[in-house]
Amino acid sequence: MPSVISISKLAKHYQVPEREAGLKAAAMGLIKRRYKNVKAVDEISFDIQPGEVVGFLGPNGAGKTTTLKMLSGLLHPTSGSTSVLGYEPAKRSHDFLRQITLVMGNRNQLSWDLPALDSFDLQRAIYSIPRDDFKRTRDEFIELLEVGDLVQKPVRNLSLGERMKMEIIGALLHKPKILFLDEPTLGLDVTMQKRIRTFVAEYNKRYGATVLLTSHYMADVEALCKRVVVIHHGKLLFDGDLSKLVEKFSAFKTVGFTANGSSADWSQYGDVVSVEGGRVTLRVPKEKTSAVTSRLLNELAVDDLTVETAPIEDVIESVFSVGKDIVE
Amino acid sequence: MNGLRLAFNYLRIGIMNEFQYRANLYIQILQTFIALGTGLIGLNLVFSQTSELGGWNRTELLAVMGVFIMMGGIIRAAIQPNMERLMEEIRQGLLDFALTKPADAQLLISIREFRLWQLVDVITGLVVLGVALSQMNWLIGVWSVLAFFSALVMGAVMIYCFWLIVTSTAFWFVRVHEIANLFEGLYAAGRWPVGIYPTWLRMALTFIIPVAFAVTVPAEALTGRLSLQTWLGALALTITLFIASRALLKFGLKSYSGASA
Repeated sequence: MPSVISISKLAKHYQVPEREAGLKAAAMGLIKRRYKNVKAVDEISFDIQPGEVVGFLGPNGAGKTTTLKMLSGLLHPTSGSTSVLGYEPAKRSHDFLRQITLVMGNRNQLSWDLPALDSFDLQRAIYSIPRDDFKRTRDEFIELLEVGDLVQKPVRNLSLGERMKMEIIGALLHKPKILFLDEPTLGLDVTMQKRIRTFVAEYNKRYGATVLLTSHYMADVEALCKRVVVIHHGKLLFDGDLSKLVEKFSAFKTVGFTANGSSADWSQYGDVVSVEGGRVTLRVPKEKTSAVTSRLLNELAVDDLTVETAPIEDVIESVFSVGKDIVE
Repeated sequence: MNGLRLAFNYLRIGIMNEFQYRANLYIQILQTFIALGTGLIGLNLVFSQTSELGGWNRTELLAVMGVFIMMGGIIRAAIQPNMERLMEEIRQGLLDFALTKPADAQLLISIREFRLWQLVDVITGLVVLGVALSQMNWLIGVWSVLAFFSALVMGAVMIYCFWLIVTSTAFWFVRVHEIANLFEGLYAAGRWPVGIYPTWLRMALTFIIPVAFAVTVPAEALTGRLSLQTWLGALALTITLFIASRALLKFGLKSYSGASA
């Protein structure tokens, strides 16, 4: 199947003014400005197939939002090529824009003082959605997100989570084929995050839409994305299955056991994470796990031995902290 | 067609928004009457000393004042709020939503805001104009009315283009709010026909900030002063400004970098 999103050696550089702190430096800036070239996105390439839900990960400032903005036509790339549904996004052709949507968790586009229903009507006009289609989609989404009793309240009276649900409905009324979701669950509580997640999954299933999602909540990524693309300092670190990422980057496993009164120098088995009551937790390099567990079982009478893969948050953290040196 | 429908929809939203803030209507009425009162006092003061100002008599100047109040209302209802929003969104990098819509970017950023209560000024201006016209002994023909309305539309478009050009510079200079204040100060000069000002100021009010075309020229049309040359000049300037402002906005959008999330 041909890919719906294809980017090749995509780069975006910014000229950022730079100066020392202080009044003198600020005054000098009036005369002569020093600029620094920042490579927000540095020659990244990947393809996304129709219907895929891809997690786009990276720490703050990694270039995720910049990439999403280039893909949605907001920013002109410095170099490289982008193709979304066969269009060049930066040209902002109306046919292209009609088929995509951009949701940003920290921005809202609904009219603050009006009920969401009125803003939905405006979306209908903007996207020239036929009235019947519009009503059907709107009611379908309202039902899926269970917001029937909220759509008539002014948006300013809604909670953050309720507002986000409305934002998502508003952003999807034209049934886009491509969803760029930038931190859609930012600041929401766990239940609300789950709700939004289920809705995105449902939308993807019903309409076969392609989703590119950034999130700092790994639960979002785990629940929705089979594949993840990781960037750091504008460079591509990893592109593949989430399970492969964990396998590749989780260098350690957590071994826990109950010591049963026996005491020893635990550090000879691995890094001691904690010793609480009789319970010992060690961090052991992945390749030594089996050796360590068999030693523990043989040499000491330990109980309740558990071996756990590091939580995905920790894996991601280690990916980011190691940085690009480990990219093959 | 699509553009008109979109504009209508935004107008609807804008009006609904304004209905939420009833107090603004009363404040606006109060403001309008204070402005009208001081304007009339000023006019009376001038004509207690003289019977003519730069070739305009008292009733004709009342007509100028009517156009001035009306145009001010149009600017504050439909032009200024959109441009101020655009400035703010450029500065904070919030233009994203407008730019991801399948509609002409210029159209979209120009129709999103509407301040209904400013229409109090438009109505008041029309009343003042009506009073002035009824006091004139001059019969107004169809051509004068056509010339008046066309001059009014051209004037409004020129003011819009001026604002758009200034606002678009925000793509590079980021903070251009002070220019909004500057505009208000200079627009106030339109209260009098620009002909009474020294040449340098008259030039500035004609070609830099087109207050002359927005107020004096429509008033000239109604008082039988408008020449075909001026009308054609206004048309040419309107078209030029429109093309220039559109090009500048497009250029600015290219260098729009947004704010990171």
